Amino acid sequence: MSSIKGIKQRIANVSTTKQIMKAMDMVSTSKLQKARERLVNARPLFFETKRMVHQLKDCEKAKESIFIKQRKVNKSAYVIITSDKGLCGSYNVNIAQKALRHMNEGKNEVILVVGAKGYEFFRRRGKNILHRIIDITETQMYYDTGLLSEHVQSLYVSGEIDEVFIAYTRFESTLSYLPVVEKVLPISDGEENMRFDSEMTYEPDVHSFLEQAIPLYLHACFFAAMSESVACEHAARMVNMDSASKNATDIIDDLNRMYNRKRQAAITQEINEIVGGANILK
Amino acid sequence: MKDKKLLLRIITPRGKKVEQKADMLVMRCVGGDVGILPNHMPLSSPISDGILRIINGKEEQKMALFGGVVEVKNNIVTILTSIAQRPEEIDLARAEHDRKQYEQLMQERSSDLKMQSYSVLLRRALVRIEVSSEPIISGSDIDESDDI
Repeated sequence: MSSIKGIKQRIANVSTTKQIMKAMDMVSTSKLQKARERLVNARPLFFETKRMVHQLKDCEKAKESIFIKQRKVNKSAYVIITSDKGLCGSYNVNIAQKALRHMNEGKNEVILVVGAKGYEFFRRRGKNILHRIIDITETQMYYDTGLLSEHVQSLYVSGEIDEVFIAYTRFESTLSYLPVVEKVLPISDGEENMRFDSEMTYEPDVHSFLEQAIPLYLHACFFAAMSESVACEHAARMVNMDSASKNATDIIDDLNRMYNRKRQAAITQEINEIVGGANILK
Repeated sequence: MKDKKLLLRIITPRGKKVEQKADMLVMRCVGGDVGILPNHMPLSSPISDGILRIINGKEEQKMALFGGVVEVKNNIVTILTSIAQRPEEIDLARAEHDRKQYEQLMQERSSDLKMQSYSVLLRRALVRIEVSSEPIISGSDIDESDDI
């Protein structure tokens, strides 16, 4: 089908690509290590703040707070966390699809999207994108998610949105990630497994406690979700690059075999020609 | 009762920063300083920028806390905060520099919003300076209250 020269060229091409994929694999591996460490550290704050705000549901006075009380839902906000870069398999599609399915269950949605890939996905589907954040530096993540949570909180307080969901990919292990959509605000009654029996006093009063606790809770939610997602992104990229470089090895093997067969065929043909020529001369 | 101690946990976005036992804690909440001894009633409160004093017998440690919330329950004190710094982690030169800078900025007239943020930043600088300098309050007067 192609000439010996052509095959040789292809082998060279595939080898170069394989080298790039190997390099990307290694980069993702080291980034994943850092991301995992960050994730492990981000989780306690998230769990503790979550527990604390859910505990507030037991307090009579706090129940009237806009952050806790369920209100009539006109608009739901979705914060969707995706990556800026591709080459990580179905990572972005999975989370975007999950969020899309959730929205299609009769929600009037506004979207705040993190990551260029998610932005493209929802823009193409003509969704109402309110805000997008791209180019979040991983080291600056805490600060950037702080801006995001402030933004979401001001939208919520002003009544532009009535509930907030966050869609992110939960990191379970290097090989398993789970796209999830979680309700962040108002603090729903969903968590029935959390039981509190003690009578908590709030100083100086519940509302000033809420004022400080809610921003921290939101911030911790976004930060944890972001950390989970980033870890997943790197893990997905690492796994994909690994299998891609394995594929490249297979292709190179096939091409080599093809190349050798062609070379053998050429040699045989040459010998045949020589023998044929010699026979004529006899 | 005597050997009961508080378990202090400080949780920041960088993970569990502190997990240790303590006899007494004094922290700056929004309403003023709050002291916590073992068997304190369940309490939740917001924290303002200030110093956390961890008292263990005659030893006293200090930490700088910037915002966050505290929860006291079953002798477990959980502090959730964005920033918690030990004295050795504070860049004193930078804090001094910040203090001078914001003090100067406060002298100039500017909008209320700016003044407010300057005063917050100045307070943070002052807290850092105080935490990283030598203890001003000696340990002795605290021990007396402990013996009751």
